[in-house]
Amino acid sequence: MSAHDHSSPHSEPAAPQHGGDYEIMETAVRELLVEKKLIGPGEIRRQIEVLDSRSPALGAKVVARAWNDPGFKVRLLENGRRACEELGISFYDDTQLIVLENTATVHNLVVCTLCSCYPRPVLGLPPDWYKVKPYRARAVSEPRKVLEEFGTHIPDDVEIRVSDSTALVRFLVLPMRPEGTEGYTEEQLAALVTRDAMIGVVTANTPTESA
Amino acid sequence: MPDTYQFVKRLPNDIGGLQADTVQQTDHVLLPWEKRCHALADVLDFHKIINTEEKRRGVEALGAELVGKLSYYERWIVAFANILFEKRILSPTELALKMDEVAARPRD
Amino acid sequence: MRDNTTPAGNPLTGIVFAEGERPVFGPGDKARILARSPIGHYRVPTYMRGKLCTVEKVIEPAAVDNEEEAFGRNVGSKRHYYRVAVPMSEIWPEYKGPATDGLRIEIYETWLERVST
Repeated sequence: MSAHDHSSPHSEPAAPQHGGDYEIMETAVRELLVEKKLIGPGEIRRQIEVLDSRSPALGAKVVARAWNDPGFKVRLLENGRRACEELGISFYDDTQLIVLENTATVHNLVVCTLCSCYPRPVLGLPPDWYKVKPYRARAVSEPRKVLEEFGTHIPDDVEIRVSDSTALVRFLVLPMRPEGTEGYTEEQLAALVTRDAMIGVVTANTPTESA
Repeated sequence: MPDTYQFVKRLPNDIGGLQADTVQQTDHVLLPWEKRCHALADVLDFHKIINTEEKRRGVEALGAELVGKLSYYERWIVAFANILFEKRILSPTELALKMDEVAARPRD
Repeated sequence: MRDNTTPAGNPLTGIVFAEGERPVFGPGDKARILARSPIGHYRVPTYMRGKLCTVEKVIEPAAVDNEEEAFGRNVGSKRHYYRVAVPMSEIWPEYKGPATDGLRIEIYETWLERVST
């Protein structure tokens, strides 16, 4: 296998402002499936509501709870899905969740080289950069360089663990709690946790960064 | 003889470790039809009309050229159409006629 | 962390498990990811083929083989996925980072072969 690529694009073609023929196809497929009673007329609308109710704010609450509640953190690391369900977050796509704890000696990074596996029930839909070639191709072979491109420098005495998501399991990074946040409420802590910190490409914000 | 079998055994989405550009932190708010397409994928999987793994296979089966040229949800909807034909849930002409009907509607 | 492969308490004896019901590998086992090349569909990326790995965790529940699922098989015999650890230097001989850097990935049971140490 040659190292240079024969197939995939270097960047994603930009989606047009409306879908054109593809939007027409989407409407036609959906309506035909409803006419044939294979899907219910309200199911797509309902699923859009499900998708809209999921965003990085949910993940941030999970992280903040883990930072403030040691018992919850133990349960979260033991079974991510069950602990999120404890907070009312359902796993509508039937995936499992492994929560990866960043520590002073280990930094976790999540990628899906084969497609775009992502913990959608907890974080919503992934950003475009997560779904296109540069990140997917390089996160597994030169993670430190990729992290630098996000402005994240991980010292050599900290182990990098890249998780390539390929099957039933999704991953959420539990970032390190920033210094100077003693006594913070869950809401204050959650405000420091970004989507990118839960993918592992950056660390959680410090109180000064988000002030 | 050129080694064409490499194109058969390596699927277009199997890109881990290949050389690629610097990461650009791109994102966009999904267009309404893209979000409907995502919801459609979920609903098709709930009913196992097209499960998630079939959707991935359907995208790979578009081949490297289309995978490279189409945007994310464009790949999905074309893959769905092809799989629905394979399963004899829809026929090509049935979809073409429905698309003509949709296209003839006034746009808002 | 609770080890899902070991039942709590004193297990009853005489129980025979169905084919594929119990995981074949356990945490700490050394294995090799097979180097075969299926066409049509797979979920073992090319870059991982043939690499030596250490099983870290058994993924529950067992699941249908995704290569078959991709062609519409939603039920049938199930086997386990294993979260395995591979050092970056095993995957990329020219890897420049620290020797401790590594990769984790889930591999289906049929893609793993036991390696005696």
